[in-house]
Amino acid sequence: MRRNFSILLLVWLAAGCATTELPPTANLPRPGPAFPADAFITQRGTLTVRGRQFTLNGYVAKSSALGLRFIMTENFGGVLADVLVNPDGQVFVLQAKPPFRTAWVKNYIAADLKCLFSDRAETNCPMQTLSPTHFLIERRSYKLDLRTVETKPGPQPAEMFREPRGGKP
Amino acid sequence: MKKLFSIALTLIAFTLFAAEDASLQPVTNPKPILQDLQQKMSSLKSVALDFTQERHLKLFTDPLKSEGVMLIGRPDLIRWETTAPFQSILLGDQKSVAQFENNDGTWTKLKLGFPQMLKRVMEQMALMNQGKLDALTGDFTISVATNRSLAVLTLVPKDENVRGMLAALEVRMPSDFSATREVVMREPGGDFTRIIFTRERRNVTFPTGTFDQIKPLDVAAIRAAVTDAP
Repeated sequence: MRRNFSILLLVWLAAGCATTELPPTANLPRPGPAFPADAFITQRGTLTVRGRQFTLNGYVAKSSALGLRFIMTENFGGVLADVLVNPDGQVFVLQAKPPFRTAWVKNYIAADLKCLFSDRAETNCPMQTLSPTHFLIERRSYKLDLRTVETKPGPQPAEMFREPRGGKP
Repeated sequence: MKKLFSIALTLIAFTLFAAEDASLQPVTNPKPILQDLQQKMSSLKSVALDFTQERHLKLFTDPLKSEGVMLIGRPDLIRWETTAPFQSILLGDQKSVAQFENNDGTWTKLKLGFPQMLKRVMEQMALMNQGKLDALTGDFTISVATNRSLAVLTLVPKDENVRGMLAALEVRMPSDFSATREVVMREPGGDFTRIIFTRERRNVTFPTGTFDQIKPLDVAAIRAAVTDAP
């Protein structure tokens, strides 16, 4: 059942991704960060692809010294993507489950993550800040409406930011 | 100090769970138990439960928590509503599913992608909570383990690909099947999701609009009606 769902969603997204190899619609300057330097942030997102909507949950461990760790889950808690961004901005895709491909996670999900949370200036960032807790990222093939539902400031465990052994970004 | 207390509480909880589980005996022939369960549940017209969902990921020290309500009405109505930390409603019946998201106090109906798949998930949730396990045997291998106070139904997906994502699903109930205590979804890597059900109310009359897929009634109004029911 979930496999069928995954296959269908994969086909759907693949169809959308066929047109996504082009640069984003806009390279807007990134607005000032609205998040603490160190925090655990929970977000709820609605992804719109070709007029159809999917809800996702995002959990971000943010460390000013160690980088970003991001877990994305579907409605019932299944992990769809696990991404580490080190302080240099290098992206490690630790998990990508159907319908999301590793390349898609790296090129789009990680880009959106950096766009929203990185302390570095990001150019690939077509994002609007609609309120301190509401963000809209709009690329050619999808729209992501994100809302921060919970922010727990404080240092995050260092183990979460360990790069995979011998792993290449 | 607070953290120490929390760790101690967690350890106590796990110890209790472990002790409860340790005495569980597998039932060689689960069919009579499943029939008994189905018979007991068949008289159930409706059920309202509060839930706490805990997502246990090895990566995070603390579970990711959400809470809400699950409402089931005969013959095939289901409402799964998350009330915190965000607000979202999933509604399903025999024909269709709908999802609503609450943003800044306003409910918006989503244009769902692949509603048929969501419908299938919702159907299976309803079947499980109505004890209609016969209908699930096509997709799952079902086994039962019991002790004096607890019955655990374990559903293992038959499809190898599905098992790659969901190793097993456990439904935990008192041994008299009087309520669903919790559902545990185990993943191959050791991560799991625990849904703990509380305040189960059976055979309640839901107010009009509870399962409406155009303008669902607010959960506060449902809670009030269900709580005030005789």
